[in-house]
Amino acid sequence: MLLIAVAVSGCRKKPPAAANLNAANKVAVRMVRLYYETPQMLLAAEPRNIALPESAAAAMPVVVRELMKGPASPAGAALRLFPADTVVRGTYLLPGGTVVVDLGGTTLSQGWGTGSHHELMAVYSLVQTLATNFADARRVRIVINGTPAETLAGHVSLSRSLVPQPGLVDPRSR
Amino acid sequence: MKRLLSLGILLVLAVASIVLAQTSGQATLRTPAGDHPFTYVQQSGQIYVNATEVATALGGTIAPDANGFKVTVGGATAAFGADSRYGVVRDDLIEMPVPPIAIEGKPYVPWQFFQGFLAKATSQDVAWDAAARTLVVRPLTRDAVGVQVSVANVQGISKIVLTLSAPSEYSIVKEPQAYLVRFRAPVRAPFGEQTYEDPYIAKVTFAGSDLRIQLTAPEVVGDAYQLESPPRIVLDFRKGAAPAPGTPGVQQPSRPQDTPGIRTIVIDPGHGGREVGAVGPGGLMEKDITLAIARKLQTALAGKLGARVVLTREDDSVVSLDQRTALANQYKADLFLSVHLNAAVVKDAKGSETYFLSLEASDELAKKAAESENAQSSVPNPNADLNLILWDLAHQAYVDESSRLAQAIQEEMNAATGVANRGVKQAPFKVLVGATMPAALVEVGFISNPEEEAKLQSEEFQNLMVQTLTKAVERYKTDYETRIGVIQPAAPAPAPAATTTAPAAPAPTTTAAPTSAAPQTRTER
Repeated sequence: MLLIAVAVSGCRKKPPAAANLNAANKVAVRMVRLYYETPQMLLAAEPRNIALPESAAAAMPVVVRELMKGPASPAGAALRLFPADTVVRGTYLLPGGTVVVDLGGTTLSQGWGTGSHHELMAVYSLVQTLATNFADARRVRIVINGTPAETLAGHVSLSRSLVPQPGLVDPRSR
Repeated sequence: MKRLLSLGILLVLAVASIVLAQTSGQATLRTPAGDHPFTYVQQSGQIYVNATEVATALGGTIAPDANGFKVTVGGATAAFGADSRYGVVRDDLIEMPVPPIAIEGKPYVPWQFFQGFLAKATSQDVAWDAAARTLVVRPLTRDAVGVQVSVANVQGISKIVLTLSAPSEYSIVKEPQAYLVRFRAPVRAPFGEQTYEDPYIAKVTFAGSDLRIQLTAPEVVGDAYQLESPPRIVLDFRKGAAPAPGTPGVQQPSRPQDTPGIRTIVIDPGHGGREVGAVGPGGLMEKDITLAIARKLQTALAGKLGARVVLTREDDSVVSLDQRTALANQYKADLFLSVHLNAAVVKDAKGSETYFLSLEASDELAKKAAESENAQSSVPNPNADLNLILWDLAHQAYVDESSRLAQAIQEEMNAATGVANRGVKQAPFKVLVGATMPAALVEVGFISNPEEEAKLQSEEFQNLMVQTLTKAVERYKTDYETRIGVIQPAAPAPAPAATTTAPAAPAPTTTAAPTSAAPQTRTER
C-alpha cells in the first residue's frame, strides 16, 4: 500500500520538498537559548531565533548544530567551545529524559587536545543548552561516532549521563 | 491521549521500516521457567523480536511513553526510542546495532536490546541461537559467574585482572608456587588452561569453581584487591623473599606497608605520547610540562617526606586514564595527585585551580531511580541493592579527604603565586574515578594564555610550583596523620601569664588507627 502510494506520488509534479517538510514538521522561527562562555569564564545564554520543527526530537539536532556554530558576536569563532570540525551525527531523546548526542568530526575522533576548563565548558554548554530549551531533556549522554567514549579531551568522564551544573552558569542566565 | 501517543510513536517507527521484512516467523524464548513462542523478523541481516511478546514472556510489561517505549522486567525498567539505536536502563546505555522498527503497528527491537537490558539490570545472559531460532535467557546469579582473564606486566609487577560478570564471593588460597582463587559460585570459564610468557605468571587453569594461577618461581609473592564497575579482582605478583617452611597457606591481601599515614604517593603527569593535552599559542605542550613538574615533584616529595613516590608515566608515553588510577590502587597509594595545565577560549584566563571528584547529580538521579524501582518492584532485585551499596562505597568513601587535599593545594598555590584564585572545584574527571585514596587534580596554570605559557616553561616557575605542591602535600599529610593519631598534635602555646594552668593537649580526633587511607577513618569536616 505504502509502495503504491509512493509510486503514485512519483508520477505527479512534486512541490518543493523543503516547503513540504517544513509544513509537515510545523517548522517556525522560534527563540532558543544557546550557552557560551563569558569573559568571567562562566556559561551564559545567548538568545537566537532559528527555524525549528515543533517536535522536540526533531528540533534537538537543529539546536545542537546551531550551538556548534559558536557565539554570534564578531569574535564568535574564537569563542566557539567545540572544535570547528565537530559534526553532530544525531541526537536521540529517550523515554525518561535521557538525550543521547552523537558527535563526530576529525578532532573529536582523533583526540582533542585542550585543558579541563575548556572541556568542562564545552560539555556543559551542550548539557545546559539542551536542558534549558527542552523540558523533556533531563540528562545528556555524549557518544563519539556512535560508540561510548571515555572523554572528549582527556578529562570529563562521559561514561555516565550528565546533568546541568548550575555552578558553571552565570547566575543571571540560570 | 495515551493511544494517540502510542500511534504517533508507531508511526515514527513505521518510517524506519518502509523496507518490508524479508523473513519472519515464530521463534522460541527459552528461559529457566520454560519455552515461550514469539514473533521475530529478519531484515537486512538483523534479528528483530516482537518487544511486547518477549517482554510478556519474561514476566514483564511494555508501555508507550513520551518518545518511545518503556519495558519493565524483574523490577527493572529500560526504554527505547522511536528512531535511536540506543536504549537506556537507569543511567546506562544499551547499544543496538540498528534502531527499533514497527511492523503491523507493533514495536520490534533488535534482540540485543534484551541482551543489554537483562545483562545490565538483572544479571541474565541472552543469546540468539540462529539455527534453532531460539532466544536463550540464562540466569547469571550466584549460580554462575563469568570470568574474563587478562595478564600484563606493568613496571616490573605482573598484574592479572579477573573481570567478573557479576559480583561474587571468593577466597584466595596460597599454594606452593601458585595462588588459588576459589569462587563460591560455579564459574563460566573462557578457557580450560592458558599459558603466559610472563616473568611471574606461568599459566592459569580453570577447574570447577577454582581458578589456579601457576607462578614461575616459589619466591613470587602476590597481593590482591578489588575494583568495581565492572567487578574485578586484581592480583599483583612480584618477586619477594622465598617462603619459609610452614608458612600459612591462606593469603590475606595486605598493604605493602601497614604503617598508617601517608607513605606512598602517586603523581600523575597529565596526558602523554600522542595525547599531547592542551597546546599553548607558542607551541608549548601540556604533556611535556606536566612530566617535568611531576619528575621534580617526585624528587622533592621523596626527599622532604620520606615517602615512596611513584609516577604514572616516566616518559613521553600514552597511559590510559584507567591505568593511571589502577596503578595508584596497585601500589595502595595513600594519595593521588594528577598534574595538568589548563586551557580556555577566554585568552586572558589565568591562575590555578584544584579539582576533586564530584558525586554527579546524574548519579544521584540514577540512584534515586534505582531505589524507586527497587521499592516499587514486587520482585526484589538483589543486584539492585548490591549495586547501590557499591555505588555509595565507590563514590563517597574518599570525597571528604579529597576535598581536604584539594583545599590544602589550592591555598598554598594562592599564597605562593599571588595570581587569580580560581578555587577548589568538583568535576566528574575520569582520572579521579576509581581512585581508592584521597585524590585531586591540580591545574597549575593556563597554557592558553601567552603570559602563563611563558611562565610555565621557565625553570623558576616550575620550581616554585614544585615547592608549593610539596608544601601542600606535607601540610595535608601532617593534618591527616594528626587526625588519625599517628602524630600527636603539638601542645598549645603556653597560656598567658594570668593563667596558672596550661591546658592539656587535646586527644586525637579519631580512636581507631587505620590500616590504610581515608575509607576506614572517615572523619567529619
